[in-house]
Amino acid sequence: MQSEVLTNSPDERFDDAVVATLVGFSVAWAILAMAVGVYLSAELIWSWLDFGQPWLSFGRLRPVHTTGVIFGFGISALMATAFYSVQRTSHIRLFMPRLAWFCCYGWQVLMVLGLWSLMAGWTSTKEYAELEWPFDIAIAILWVSFGIVFFGTIAKRRIRPIYISNWFYGGLIIVITMIHIVNSLAIPVGLSKSYSIYAGAQDAVVQWWYGHNAVGFLLTGGFLGMLYYFLPKQANQPLWSYRLSILAFWAFTYTYIWAGPHHLHYSAIPEWVQSLAVVMSLILLAPSWATLINGVMTVSKAWEKLRVDPALKFIVLSLAFYGLATFEGPMMAIRSVNVISHFTDWTVGHVHSGALGWNAMITYGTFYFLVPRLFNCELYSTRLANIHFWLALGGTMLYILAMWAAGVSQGLLWLSVDEIGELQFSFKDIMASMAPYYGLRLVAGMIFLGGTVLMAWNLFMTMRSGVIVDRYPARVESEFAMGSAVRMPS
Amino acid sequence: MVFKTLLRALHSPREVCAELGRNDDFPPVIELFRYPLLLVLLPPFFAFIGATFFGWRLGAAEPLYFDLTSRIVISFAYFLAISFGFVSSVVISTWMASTYGASTSLSAHISLLTVVCAPLSLASVIHLYPHVFINVLVLIPAISWSMALLYRTLPLVLDIPPERGMLMASSIVAWLLVGAVSLLGLTAILWSYGIGTNVRI
Repeated sequence: MQSEVLTNSPDERFDDAVVATLVGFSVAWAILAMAVGVYLSAELIWSWLDFGQPWLSFGRLRPVHTTGVIFGFGISALMATAFYSVQRTSHIRLFMPRLAWFCCYGWQVLMVLGLWSLMAGWTSTKEYAELEWPFDIAIAILWVSFGIVFFGTIAKRRIRPIYISNWFYGGLIIVITMIHIVNSLAIPVGLSKSYSIYAGAQDAVVQWWYGHNAVGFLLTGGFLGMLYYFLPKQANQPLWSYRLSILAFWAFTYTYIWAGPHHLHYSAIPEWVQSLAVVMSLILLAPSWATLINGVMTVSKAWEKLRVDPALKFIVLSLAFYGLATFEGPMMAIRSVNVISHFTDWTVGHVHSGALGWNAMITYGTFYFLVPRLFNCELYSTRLANIHFWLALGGTMLYILAMWAAGVSQGLLWLSVDEIGELQFSFKDIMASMAPYYGLRLVAGMIFLGGTVLMAWNLFMTMRSGVIVDRYPARVESEFAMGSAVRMPS
Repeated sequence: MVFKTLLRALHSPREVCAELGRNDDFPPVIELFRYPLLLVLLPPFFAFIGATFFGWRLGAAEPLYFDLTSRIVISFAYFLAISFGFVSSVVISTWMASTYGASTSLSAHISLLTVVCAPLSLASVIHLYPHVFINVLVLIPAISWSMALLYRTLPLVLDIPPERGMLMASSIVAWLLVGAVSLLGLTAILWSYGIGTNVRI
């Protein structure tokens, strides 16, 4: 409403074009990177699908899939939603909007060239950090730029409290900067090759300190920022407990950072480091489920919106899978579970219960909410969105169940011994027998990808039918205001 | 009679829910619990028979055979785990009911969970031939059926609007997913302590 707007001066309008552009890129990366994932799952059944080409081999395409999904789809979505929400919660437009555009396009150029380099065989061999040193430097520059825009906007804000979503987005930016720079320290020996400055067990500890906190602060914390802003917006309800959200943030931040070494059980790292990681992983369940309860209780009051809002279904289901993944993770960190599950497809299933069920679903729900509002029009097709919902749910469930069965079978067969104490089955035979499960996974991936393509079409048609309208900061109550926030419209 | 009722639950869940606990031949408590008891007995029973005759067929060339003690331990642990799963699900569902404005009648929640678990429990007949992939192929549609029954039946049995039922059913799904993965974790812990299987760590 006009009376609630602080000002409608053109210089004050929100920078929403960069948000819409990032949403478009995010959807494009989702389709591309998930299609690569589907191709990879087919390669695991029919190995000839690489056609003898090194750039099509599993070893090169696998990091293309993971980097494309996490960095392309995930970070583009996080940048989009962070830029959108920080403006609304700070009641001011972005700080240095041109730098935000630099982040937007710079990140896409980085992704295109980075994925190209991975297919060419450039790799640091560090999981989820495979890009070589020139790209690591580019990531650091772009990420710090992202931080300048975000924290600059917070610094200029017109309202005193910093809303909880900004704490999570802020945590994402600070921790990813820290772990990316530390883990990427290396000595280059050419444009396409470098060697880590860490050696042996230290390298492993640093790598999984990075790897686990990338999962923690990017795939969990960053997306919790998305949840904390968009869930109450979609439900049109205040958070069930704001105090609980703050408590969950600090407990989450303090605990997560210690949990990485649970990826290195039964390895050469000190046992007390492994034990500490187990304890911290188990404690982590508390802040994770505090957020889950907060989300469920917030949305429980908004049931009437389900009649008209297909996006809310995605959010509701994403919470269910968030609960599953954040329970399964600590459980798999327990040594006696890990000894069975480690290196098996159970881990792959666990990762995808989070990636498909939590990250993708919360992002899809957010995009279905965001795009019609950005473009000031109705969603092109609610029916397509509902079909997408069932495809996403079916694909995720099929994927998880197939990988659970495959993983548990592998864990048992690998460790089974005969009466004289020798391994009972050969690794090769066990892996050869996994083809039927990989077939189910291929079908699951195609179903999930099909749903994503439907969403892309739906959002594209929605964008075509509207235009980005100018939005302005809302007036701030005087008791919460900073600076010129109480000034009425000119 | 009990089997017939459970089979009817697959296609007429609302009617079966209404009938449970209302048979004059038994006191209401016994009537209410004899169906769940059968549901939690069937899977370990079928698993025991299957493991005895065919061994576990996990995909490798040779099936895994276990001695009688191991088979009994595994089946009993399976029985305990799914019994705990059923009872805890009833408790959680009843606890959640007040949040969603649903009926808090314990018998309604027992009836609901009985109907929801019926497809899974009846499909466990496939444990008679414990080839894991074939079990997965049969149990995935059974899980889908159970989920469909949950979403369809919950608002009717607990007397809430379908949209609110969708939210509550999703919360129960979250709990059931956690229950399923707990079953896997518990299994792994038992195996790694040498209970049931002959694994060496």
